[in-house]
Amino acid sequence: MSKILREFITSKKHHTYRKTVDEINNMAEEFASLGLSPKERMTRRLEKMLSLQEPQFLPDEKICFLRTAINIPDIFTKAEWDEINKKHHIHELGYMSNLSPDYESVIAEGLLKRKETADEYGKRAIDAIINLADRYCSEAEKQGKTELVNVLKRVPRYGATSLYEALQFFRIIHFSLWLEGNYHITVGRFDQYMYPYLKSDIEKGILNEASALELLEDFFLSFNKDSDLYPGVQQGDNGQSMVLGGMDKDGNDAFNLLSDLCLKASANLLLIDPKINLRVSKNTPLEVFEKGSILTKAGLGFPQYSNDDVVINALVKLGYSLDDARDYVVAACWEFIVPKVGADVANIGALNFPKVIDTCLHRDLENCNTFDEFKSAVKAEIKAQADELCKLVDNLWFIPSPFMNVMMACEIYDGGKYNNFGFHGTGVATAADSLAVIEKYIFGEGRITKAELINAVDTDFENNAELLHLLRFEAPKMGNDDDLSDNNAVMLLDTFGDSLVGKTNCRGGIYRAGTGSAMYYLWHADEIGASPDGRRKGEPFGTNFSASLFAKLNGPISIIKSFTKPNFEKVINGGPLTLEFASSMFEGEESIQKLAAFVKAFVDMGGHQMQLNAVNTEKLKEAQAHPELHQQLVVRIWGWSAYFVELDPEYQDHVLRRQQYSV
Amino acid sequence: MKGFVFDIKELSVHDGPGCRITVFLKGCPLRCKWCHNPEGLKPKPQLMVQKNGCVDCKMCYKPCNHPECKPFGRCLHTCPNGCLKISGKEWEADELATHLLKNAEFLSLTGGGVTISGGEPLMQPDFVIELADKLKGVHKAIQTSGFATQEIYKKVVSKFDYVMQDIKLVDNELHKKYTGVSNEVILRNIEWLKQSGKDFILRMPLIPGVTDTEENKAAALKIADGAKLEFLDYNPLAGAKYEMLGMKYEL
Repeated sequence: MSKILREFITSKKHHTYRKTVDEINNMAEEFASLGLSPKERMTRRLEKMLSLQEPQFLPDEKICFLRTAINIPDIFTKAEWDEINKKHHIHELGYMSNLSPDYESVIAEGLLKRKETADEYGKRAIDAIINLADRYCSEAEKQGKTELVNVLKRVPRYGATSLYEALQFFRIIHFSLWLEGNYHITVGRFDQYMYPYLKSDIEKGILNEASALELLEDFFLSFNKDSDLYPGVQQGDNGQSMVLGGMDKDGNDAFNLLSDLCLKASANLLLIDPKINLRVSKNTPLEVFEKGSILTKAGLGFPQYSNDDVVINALVKLGYSLDDARDYVVAACWEFIVPKVGADVANIGALNFPKVIDTCLHRDLENCNTFDEFKSAVKAEIKAQADELCKLVDNLWFIPSPFMNVMMACEIYDGGKYNNFGFHGTGVATAADSLAVIEKYIFGEGRITKAELINAVDTDFENNAELLHLLRFEAPKMGNDDDLSDNNAVMLLDTFGDSLVGKTNCRGGIYRAGTGSAMYYLWHADEIGASPDGRRKGEPFGTNFSASLFAKLNGPISIIKSFTKPNFEKVINGGPLTLEFASSMFEGEESIQKLAAFVKAFVDMGGHQMQLNAVNTEKLKEAQAHPELHQQLVVRIWGWSAYFVELDPEYQDHVLRRQQYSV
Repeated sequence: MKGFVFDIKELSVHDGPGCRITVFLKGCPLRCKWCHNPEGLKPKPQLMVQKNGCVDCKMCYKPCNHPECKPFGRCLHTCPNGCLKISGKEWEADELATHLLKNAEFLSLTGGGVTISGGEPLMQPDFVIELADKLKGVHKAIQTSGFATQEIYKKVVSKFDYVMQDIKLVDNELHKKYTGVSNEVILRNIEWLKQSGKDFILRMPLIPGVTDTEENKAAALKIADGAKLEFLDYNPLAGAKYEMLGMKYEL
């Protein structure tokens, strides 16, 4: 690895090349006065942004392209946005995000070839990109960077013929897509579409494993150059997800040398980008899990695992073709999407499970004579909430991005091959545990009355110390392999999935239910007060698909048993079981093999997705007290990792409150 | 029959092959000064108070009517942070076996099994034997100090697939000084173990200035006589649980 380049980037020295260009800040007003179409505006802005970039090379750098003009002005005025918002549902910033472009064909063919089939706007975007690449090439020539000159003479105009060219090509595309305003653009099955270049270079003697790793590390560093400029909820939430391994189109395990090198590069660099995902299945050799475990030990919260056996089957059931399903990747965090042809909006909304329980607790519980009656009320409320969610996202409109469109294998804005909408499901454990309390203590043992529970929840358990203790620490919890909670979780998720079946969204696609939370584990928790599981007002839910934060759990085996019970084919939008292990777990020679066996058992037992973190709480606390000493300390947040000290305090605290399992 | 357990730990990775569940039995005849499981010493229930969650609200001192709280003079069911727990639970061997066997699929998938540890398992030999007999189809390991009559040792150990046998101090005077008991029966049991045909490992905790001396290590290697001997690094957090029990850590 180039220590010089890594140090240059992590100490943000490249920020000195950045400038803000004030003259473009009223672009929207200018566009509005000319009455330009959205596509024309997007094209003009991209052309302008590309022309404003100044070629810069960082010390020791092999893969170039750096954002120097950093501000991307809006293309619509506030008044225009108001009009748009009146007519349409706008998702996040208005772009179609969480796409996985067709890097494979574009890198193989070159942009000139792509231009032949592009529309007028796409053609202009391509010309502008080639123009910037040419300026980089001239500057490289001036500075005597012969190798880079040769690369830039070929790409992005023509298809890549070596790994170096392919990686530089990728960087140019990725850079340009961000500059166009798109975000959460995922890397896709990098080890699959890039492998032919590596293989050929090794056969030709151009690269060996060591030099390939070095090149790859330089490339990985490129993901960290401009990532702070990308819009996201928190720093690190930028969608640069890379997927490794998994089955090929014939169902064979496709983990290869490049997959291996990517895992190594990530462990060597210890940076939060790119985010590493590892696809595995029953057929994945234990050795692959061991390689993944070595990366887990490094403490980045990578890799995130997904189980091909479960995911592919579920996607096919939802209507994806087997070929596309076998090619699945993850979106910015963990949503399962299809690369190249998929135009799904995998994170369009979220169902708040504990709020459903809260509503039914206050509206229906008094009138229910049996738990089954209460369960029916809960099911009806989930259906009602799901209907509401679908209505909210009706009439969706996207800002059309001409270059993004070029980068996909089919037209996406007028409808890609898949146009499905995905909903997260927040706080499943909190809701399931709440139901278990009602089932067990009210309708089962009769130990608590309905009024008592409602009153305790409404008063945040202020005067019910003993009841709080019972519900919080002695009641059934999801994660303890206790069917009381787990069966309720299965019911909640089944109902969520079933309630979306048969519905068609405004783009002609279907709706998908999922187990993720994204940032909703904080937001949704604030929508209700205390909950029947003993969660007090203001306490967050668990992240993604995980146990309640205060639950006293038996340990990781019970957890994976609880969290592999649901019928994932009904809730396959994505959202991993998230486990934190104390870093002491990884001491000793055998720990890697044992962790690998643990993950493999999770897969064999039918889990869909898992994220494992090695956490050192003492270190995190120290970093809170002395952030200046721990700038590089990485933690996993929900679908991405971040530098701990850069997080807002509420996110820092949540990380500290998560349960850890030690040995 | 009933046994006395102070913890059941899932995914223990340092207690035998594969991923394991370790059952810690309560009660131990030794008093090793470095013991990191002090709640395993006394064969009776003990109150443990987690100090770092305690907000000093004194709720637990309010009188209550729960019979289970009586012996401890504190209410176990009011702490807002769940800081109080009783260490030590009676399990029927049957019930415990059923509980453990729920995880048989996981254990076999990971090449793991169940480990019986302590405290000292040999203090509850009949329970351990009954439990082991009921754990059919699961790999079984035992961790022991070896402090028991040879009759008991043989009877119990023969039920296990793998034995993790401690060897702490070879010098008997030092052994008495630091563990409170003589090592004569232990060494005799080790001799039997070596020729028993059992799969086993000898383990020595390296306690700075106590067991980690060159003489002690060399003497242990001599006893091992080619058998596997693992030196375990001292756990600097070994004293962590003493305060929770109102005890003092002497090292």
